Amino acid sequence: MATKVIMPKQGLLMTEGYITKWLISEGEKVEENQPLFEMETDKLSITIESPASGTLLKIIRGEDETVPITEIIAVIGQEGEDFSHLLTADSPAETKIDEVKAEAECAVVESNSISNEKTDRVFITPRAKMIAADKNIDYSDIIGSGPEGLIIEKDILSCEKGLVQNRNKVTPVAEKMIKENNLNANEVVGTGISGRVIKQDVLNIIKNEQSNLNNTDTQEKIVPFKGMRKVISDRMMESLHNMAQANHRMKVDMTEAVKLRKNIKESGINISYNDILIKIVSKALLEFPYMNSSLTGEGILLKDYVNMGLAVSVSNGLIVPNVKNAHKKSLEEIAAESRELIQKALNGSLSQEDYSGGTFTLSNLGMYDIDEFTAIINPPESGILAVGKVENTPVVENDTIVIKPIMTLSLTYDHRIIDGALAAQFLQRIKQLLMHPYLLL
Amino acid sequence: MSRKAYAIAIKDVLAEEMRRDDRIFIMGEDIAEQGGIFGCTRGLLEEFGESRVRNTPISEAGFMGAGVGAALAGMKPVVELMYMDFSLVAADQILNQAAKIRYMYGGKATLPLVIRGQQGIGRGNAATHSQSTEAIFMHIPGLKVAMPSTPADAAGLLRTALRDNNPIMFFEHKLLYSVKGEVPDDPDFVIPFGKANIVKEGNDVTIIATSQYVGKALTVANKLESEGICAEVIDPRTLVPFDTETVVNSVKKTGRAIVVHEAHKNAGPGAEIASLIMEEAFKYLDAPVLRLGAKACPLPFNLGLENAVVPQEEDIEKAVKSVLYK
Repeated sequence: MATKVIMPKQGLLMTEGYITKWLISEGEKVEENQPLFEMETDKLSITIESPASGTLLKIIRGEDETVPITEIIAVIGQEGEDFSHLLTADSPAETKIDEVKAEAECAVVESNSISNEKTDRVFITPRAKMIAADKNIDYSDIIGSGPEGLIIEKDILSCEKGLVQNRNKVTPVAEKMIKENNLNANEVVGTGISGRVIKQDVLNIIKNEQSNLNNTDTQEKIVPFKGMRKVISDRMMESLHNMAQANHRMKVDMTEAVKLRKNIKESGINISYNDILIKIVSKALLEFPYMNSSLTGEGILLKDYVNMGLAVSVSNGLIVPNVKNAHKKSLEEIAAESRELIQKALNGSLSQEDYSGGTFTLSNLGMYDIDEFTAIINPPESGILAVGKVENTPVVENDTIVIKPIMTLSLTYDHRIIDGALAAQFLQRIKQLLMHPYLLL
Repeated sequence: MSRKAYAIAIKDVLAEEMRRDDRIFIMGEDIAEQGGIFGCTRGLLEEFGESRVRNTPISEAGFMGAGVGAALAGMKPVVELMYMDFSLVAADQILNQAAKIRYMYGGKATLPLVIRGQQGIGRGNAATHSQSTEAIFMHIPGLKVAMPSTPADAAGLLRTALRDNNPIMFFEHKLLYSVKGEVPDDPDFVIPFGKANIVKEGNDVTIIATSQYVGKALTVANKLESEGICAEVIDPRTLVPFDTETVVNSVKKTGRAIVVHEAHKNAGPGAEIASLIMEEAFKYLDAPVLRLGAKACPLPFNLGLENAVVPQEEDIEKAVKSVLYK
């Protein structure tokens, strides 16, 4: 019995997902819970596991496609199994069936086929599509005889009689290479069985291109502006448009914090400066409720709890999971939890819960040797603390120059609701707690 | 059946219906002694007298208003426009009064008014005497729009018009007046409005044509038979009401449609018909619906240039082949 793979709902507000990569090719075997495809929502990137074991019979919605939730995207079953009922069974109305089938077939074409014509997209007249659906003909391989490869009624009827020329097929490996190397699929001439494009064909093109490289000076390419990139862009613009963001900076002597971290690590517990900062900033936020607030239509929303966001850089962007109720947690708990969140972020396995409901954000670029920087507030929060590296620095103490581990804190705050003096006092408090971490006790 | 010219078929029906119903009278420029410039009322003065066959001054707005008033008062006027282009002089009476009166009186008033006349190219009558204006009247609700393409259709549709209680725009074509055809002798021969005529059956493409283009479409369709292309030719006969069912069923069968008329292509009747097809038969279409009509240019005085502006038989042939991807 074949199993449908549907676009899963990954959060309350998710309506559609963007398939970034199929990890299993059509025709390959797959085990239940084996990673099947990668996708992005407006909030996260995530790897989805296979719901069943078997052969991936058909990929209905290909890479780079945006698919509404619960819509069928692939079918898993036994090799050679007829799964056409899966594409139709749920649809009560006949017209609906046609649509689903037609869409499904069309989608396959978009991802898999290589057209001899100008475009990769398959164009088919409504009539041809209707007849193909009636006769259950997969037209994805047909080269249309209309203008620019348009598939018309005649082509479907010829196809039924087996009289039609097929589009060139391409092996999964070759297809992947074509994509990775950003080649124009139409230019790859297939030398495999019945003109199938095989790995060697693509290699030849790549080789030629490389030998031509000396002649071609520069290149430009367009990267699709969507998925997580688009969300980050929208949120950053929204943040800067809607808030009066101001910035304070303060240098902090980290001698005691360094000592604390070293002592704890020696006791076998692995903590980072970030963990110490989460603990300290959470405490300070409770003392400065405006720093832990949101400006809403009804007024300034003050929160008596801290969900501390951690800006995590991931391969395709940035995501901010948060440590829930950080103000109630021990340093050890914070360390464990933040490590888990960062790991999940890097795997793309964060749940919506993990990145929702943050009240303040910490962004640390110390590991990239950044001295200090200005962060942009993650709305609807009202502040973000940007943390630079800890560096041994000569400082004047009691009229002598001594070397101290110094770190610069940079606080961006929403000046609409937080005055400069308040923000300064908040930073002072963080500085005090970092210099005297035993105050946390 | 009698074989007669289109103009004679019109005159005969007018006479027959005037004998049948003494509320019918005719008004227009030069229609009495002269019998109209194309002879559609020739001899009627002698039979029915000056009170029922009335010459008017050159004042279309005035005598159209008189027609509307007479129809409201219980008469059944036939207003002849020497050129249908002149309907624009009487536009307020037609579009704002005649079209709306039945609606505005809650259906209590009747308005049995037939506005008829010829239009189109063919005589080098130039820009203000050669237009095809039916699309203007299709656009305003409250008017029926008829376009007979043969003597029999002219007879059957005109009789229906004369027995109707609504304002009717009856578009004849100057080039059709001399065309002869068989017309039933039955004094009650009527062709209902809203019933298209399948002039020729075919499976490959539907050509919807009006007025003089019905004949041209048929010529092309017959020629293409020898090339193995079997076109269906449909004459809607009335544009309002329109026989959507016949056209849509034909397109469902053929999957391809062309609309051809003499009126301007831009916002012409073909735009309306093509849209109907798209709305009702989208998934049956194997090609875009094509429209052929006059270019967006006033009709020239020069006879050669007239033909350069309106669709030719070769254009129809080319369009058929194009939707068949040949």
